[in-house]
Amino acid sequence: MRRRADTALAVLLLAALAASLLLAVPGASAGEALAALAGQGRPEVVTIVVGIRLPRLALALAVGAALALAGAALQALLANPLADPFLLGISGGGAAAATAAYALLPIAALGLVPAAAMAGAACATTVVWWMARGPLGPSPTRMLLAGVAVNAATSALILTLLAVAPSPRLAGALAITMGSFASASPAAVLWLLPYLLVPAAVLLHYGRDLGLLALGEESAAALGVELAAVRRTVFLAAAALCGGAVAFAGVIGFIGLVTPHLVRLVWGMEPRRLFLRSALAGAALTALGDLLARRALAPVELPVGVVTAVLGVPFFVALLRRAP
Amino acid sequence: MTLLRGLALYGGYGGRAVVRGVDLEVTSGRCVALLGPNGAGKTTLVRLLAGVLPAERGTVELLGRPLAAWRRREVAREVALVPQQVHFAFPLTVREVIEQGRAPHLGPWRPPGPEDHAAVAEAIARLDLAGLADAPVQRLSGGERQRVVLARALATRARVLLLDEPAAALDLRHQLDLVAIVARLRGDGVGVAVVVHDWNLALELADELIVLQAGRVVAAGRPEETIRPELFTAVFGVEVEILRGRNGRPVVVPRMADSTAG
Repeated sequence: MRRRADTALAVLLLAALAASLLLAVPGASAGEALAALAGQGRPEVVTIVVGIRLPRLALALAVGAALALAGAALQALLANPLADPFLLGISGGGAAAATAAYALLPIAALGLVPAAAMAGAACATTVVWWMARGPLGPSPTRMLLAGVAVNAATSALILTLLAVAPSPRLAGALAITMGSFASASPAAVLWLLPYLLVPAAVLLHYGRDLGLLALGEESAAALGVELAAVRRTVFLAAAALCGGAVAFAGVIGFIGLVTPHLVRLVWGMEPRRLFLRSALAGAALTALGDLLARRALAPVELPVGVVTAVLGVPFFVALLRRAP
Repeated sequence: MTLLRGLALYGGYGGRAVVRGVDLEVTSGRCVALLGPNGAGKTTLVRLLAGVLPAERGTVELLGRPLAAWRRREVAREVALVPQQVHFAFPLTVREVIEQGRAPHLGPWRPPGPEDHAAVAEAIARLDLAGLADAPVQRLSGGERQRVVLARALATRARVLLLDEPAAALDLRHQLDLVAIVARLRGDGVGVAVVVHDWNLALELADELIVLQAGRVVAAGRPEETIRPELFTAVFGVEVEILRGRNGRPVVVPRMADSTAG
């Protein structure tokens, strides 16, 4: 059963890769596009496939993996199946900080945008956790309400920044709130990789502790989890994942919520299995989401956040109805 | 041999002390029952002893060494806690929950070995859970969940077992099973502390009673010496009759309000 599911996941990922790279290249067949991947054929096709499509796909995969991992980690850490970087305001915190960095920093310092997004995401995480905590660990209801509050505050901040930002910067700042892979470049993908790989390694190391935390803090502490240290490290890892994703692709909701749930249904609860599969499935779903965003109303391109929300909101409602 | 000792323990939540100066020892092969009215500090005391809530004053010593000098995972190998409530937010199976009891022995990376599998299998059998092992724990009744959490604690094979109202949702048969399990653990040298509201169950389980009121010990000692009707009037405001059961063991029978009136 699990092996067959692994095969299905691999097929889904390959399908996402092939569809994103090879389909609907203007004036070229799928075969020509495939040849272009190897650098052969007409230069304009090579430019589209290798220069535009490939970095965009790579960015979508990396961002999808990061968001799904962050969601899986937060759900375990907070023992809350409704935890998601977008719903809890963590992406919003990252977006507000990234927007501020875009609007206010000198051009030369724009390399700091991801760090700013990570710091903003970390602040939002801390605030949400602080608002939700009670004597017996964080309360799921209060946590979602805290997410509502943080999202309201960050979107007010972003709107203010957009109103006062110098106009040439507006496009970059606006892209952050919309969620899009249109500005992908090989450099962006390389910059994002450490924000994905280091937290992923950290989460794998704490996999067993996170499995224990999924049954609540008291129970985890009794089984030997160093709560304060694990909480701090995993929060930072989740903030880095969200901050990196937001800095390079803007706010994209629901990937972090939906993916771990789908993966749990098929592969069960074991955290490391869950994290690896969530990262791969999140990557595939996000790449397919981006494909839909590009093709659904072509030639108009939708923000990818719209597509993930259209698919994610009904899922969230269903989860909410089932929650105790 | 003293396994776990609390000395002049103070502790609580947000600066409000719920436990106020309690001494307590958990000894190898013995069982101490913690009794008292709601809000007397029993659960808080158990949390302090397990080290999941740090003491504001006083110390907890495990095998003669203060808890602060132990790593959390080492403590968890020696002290197993059955909390009053475990929050089952995710659809783990019964077996997956019980396997968590081995986590303190495994650390972050070591995969479970034959000893771990044996401990889990034994705990499943002891708690009568073989038929439910692959069921999602969210679908179980309150009493079944309580047995799962108890099985998880047994799977740890710790030297100290702290039980916070382990019998609250158990049916009569499984309450008797609990008595048998505790008796057998004591035979193996495990020290047990158990929070319990049913005095007669406490008398079956324990050879020492500690009665708490408002965070302090108001009575402690061997059951025959501790159980007196005045205690119940003072601590609970109820009148009881103390009968003698088999083996001369005391049986506590509360007098109902209407019968005392007449």
